[in-house]
Amino acid sequence: MVKDVNFLVEDLVAKLKRRQITGSYTIALETAKLLRQIISVTRWSTAGALIDRIKQEGCRLVAAQPKDVVVANIVRRVLHIIREVYTENRDAVDEDDGTILAAAPVAPQALLQPQQPSFSIHSSMFPLLGDHADLPADYTRPVHNLKSEIIQEIQEYIEELENMYSNVSSQAMDHIHSNEVIMTCGYSKTVESFLKFAAKKRKFKVIVAECAPTFQGHQTALALTAAGIDTTVIPDASVFAMMARVNKVILGTSAILANGGLIALSGTQTMVEAAKHHSIPVIVCAGLFKLSPVFPFDEESLSTEVSPDSVLDFTKGHFISEVEVINPFSSYVDPSFIDLFITNLGGHPPSYLYRLLNENYDAEDTYLLKS
Amino acid sequence: MAHEEFSIYQSYQEFLQSDPDMSMPVAAVQSLVEFIRQSQASTMSEFVVMVRDAAQVLKSSARNSVSLAAGCDLFMQAVTRMADANVEECRQNLINRGTKFVEKAASCRESIAELGEPFIRDDSTILVHSYSRVVMTLLLRAAAHNRRFRVYVTEARPINSGYRTAAQLRQAGIPCTVVLDCAVGYIMEEVDFVLVGAEGVVENGGLINQIGSYQISIVAKAARKPFYAVAESYKFVRLFPLNQFDLPTHTAQILSFDSPQSVASPSPSLSDTNSMELDGAALDLAKTNPEVDYTPPSFITLLFTDLGVLTPSGVSDELIKLYY
Repeated sequence: MVKDVNFLVEDLVAKLKRRQITGSYTIALETAKLLRQIISVTRWSTAGALIDRIKQEGCRLVAAQPKDVVVANIVRRVLHIIREVYTENRDAVDEDDGTILAAAPVAPQALLQPQQPSFSIHSSMFPLLGDHADLPADYTRPVHNLKSEIIQEIQEYIEELENMYSNVSSQAMDHIHSNEVIMTCGYSKTVESFLKFAAKKRKFKVIVAECAPTFQGHQTALALTAAGIDTTVIPDASVFAMMARVNKVILGTSAILANGGLIALSGTQTMVEAAKHHSIPVIVCAGLFKLSPVFPFDEESLSTEVSPDSVLDFTKGHFISEVEVINPFSSYVDPSFIDLFITNLGGHPPSYLYRLLNENYDAEDTYLLKS
Repeated sequence: MAHEEFSIYQSYQEFLQSDPDMSMPVAAVQSLVEFIRQSQASTMSEFVVMVRDAAQVLKSSARNSVSLAAGCDLFMQAVTRMADANVEECRQNLINRGTKFVEKAASCRESIAELGEPFIRDDSTILVHSYSRVVMTLLLRAAAHNRRFRVYVTEARPINSGYRTAAQLRQAGIPCTVVLDCAVGYIMEEVDFVLVGAEGVVENGGLINQIGSYQISIVAKAARKPFYAVAESYKFVRLFPLNQFDLPTHTAQILSFDSPQSVASPSPSLSDTNSMELDGAALDLAKTNPEVDYTPPSFITLLFTDLGVLTPSGVSDELIKLYY
C-alpha cells in the first residue's frame, strides 16, 4: 500500500519537474486528488500523524517545482481541512463511550453568554483577554470517523475547484456592461470564461495584447471571436496608446501573493501602469487556490525567464554570441495597481486578502519547506 | 486604607525605570495589577469604578499618553468582561491574567521579529526612524541570522534617540549612519524600505509614532518605497484620528502663533551662533512642538504585528474583535 502511494507521488513529482502538467488549475486538481488518495490509502491513527505525512509528501511536491505556488497552496489547504475536521469532531464526541459530552451541560450556558471573539494564541492580548480553556490542539487524540469526514471535506474542496470557472464567471454581469471596451493580455482560461459569460447577454468589445513572443493573445482572440465577441488584437507596444479608449482592464494571473501582488505574465506590468496613468480600473480574475500566504520578500526571485529561442532564433543569428537575449515569462506586479480581485467567493479589494488567507490556511503552514 | 497612599503614576514610573525593555502599555497594565492587588473594594461596581478612576489618573498624568492609554484600555476591557463574577474571584483572575500578560509581552517582540525577518534581504538598505525596541529586536535578530544589511537612522530631534539606535546597531556589527531628519529626502533613493516602530496603531490602521514618521512615509510613498511599521498588538488603540490635530496629545500650546509684540527673545541670528544659546532655543522648541504624529493608513505598506503581517485594514478587523 505504502509503495503505491510512493509511486503516485513520484509520478506527479516527475510530471511537475518535466512540466508535463502545466496550468495552475490542472496542477491544483492533480495535487488535491493525490492528497485525497494518500489520506485514504495510507495507515494513520491520529490527525497529528496524518498532518506530518501530508507535510512530508507536500514538501516533495513543492520541491519539484518550487516557483509554482499552487502546489503549496493545495497542500496548505488540505492541512487546514484536516485540522478543522479534527477540532470539530474532537470536542463533539468522547471516544470511550461514544456519548456526546459537549452538547448537554455547556450549551444552555453558552447560549446565555455572548459569544466572545477568539484570539489566536500568538496574540499578545491573549493572556489578558483570551480564554485559557482554548489551548492549542494536540492532534494526538484518536477521533471516531475522522478519515471519512476528512475525505468527505476534501471531496467537497475538489468539487469547489471543479466549479471554480463557473463561480468566477457568473459574476461577470456585475462588472461588464453594454458597449464597454475591455482590455486584456495573454491567455487566461478564467478570463476567457468570464468574458464569454458576459457575452451571453451583453455586447462589448475586447482588445487583446498579443504578448509576444508566446502570442498567447492570439489564442484568446480566437476563443473570443468563436463566441461572437468583437475582438481586436494589438501589438504589445500599442498598449499605452489604446488604453485611452478602454473602460476596464481584466487580467488573469498565475498566483496572488499575500499582499495582493501578482505573479503574472510579463506584459501585465506594462498594462497596469498604463491603466493607472489613465485611471482605468484593473480587475484580476482568479480562483482562490491561487492565493498564496507568502509575501514577496524578494521580488526579483519571483520572475521567470524562459528560453530566448523564440525571441531570436538560434539558427538565424550569426551574431548570437555577441548579444544577450532574454525572454522574461512572468514577473511580479505590485498590489497598488490592482483595484479588485474576483475569485470564486466574490469580489475583494487587495487590502482584504489577509482575511481570505486567515479563513483558508493555517499560519503554521505558511513555510512548508522550512519545517 | 492602603490604596489611598498608593500612587499609580509613581508605580508606573518605577516599572518603566526598573526594566528598560518594558514598553509603556505593559508598564500600565503592571501598575494597574499592582493597584488592584492593593485595593480593597467590597462590591463589584465599586471595584470597577476604582479601576476605571485609576486608569484615568494614569492616562492624564503622562504628557504623551497614546501608548499608555492602549494598555489601560486593554486592561479595562478585561475588567468589563469579568463584570459578572464576584469581586474576589475577579480580582484574583485579573491579577493572574495581568501578570501572565506582562511575562508574555517580552516574548511577543521575538515573535514579531520572526515574522518580519524574511523581509530583510541580504544587501538591503533600511531607513529606520528614531529608536524603537521592537525594531531593534527585528534588526538584531536578522543580523544574528547572518543577514547583511545597512541601516540609515534618523537623528530624531529633539530627543536625538537615533544615536542610541546607531550605537546599539554598531555594537551588533551592523553598518549604520545617522542622517539628519531633514536629509530623509536626500537618501530615500538609496533606501530599499523604511522601518518604523509605533506608539500606537489606530482604528483605521494608521500609526501614531515619534514625530517625523509622517513625513518619512510621504517621502517613501513619493519614491515608491515600502513603508513598514512594526508594532505589538497591545499597542492597538481605540482612536480614529482624521488629522494631526485630532491626536489626544495635541494641545493649544503646540505650535501656536504668538502675537509679534509678545515675543520676548528674538530667535538666534546666524552671526552669534553660540552652541549654548542654540541648545536653549532647541529646548524651547521642544516644549512647543509635538512629540508624536499621525501617519494615515494609505502611507503604510504593511504592519508587522504578533498577529501576523497585516495590511492597515487588517488592524481594524483585529480592533473590532477586541472591542465590539
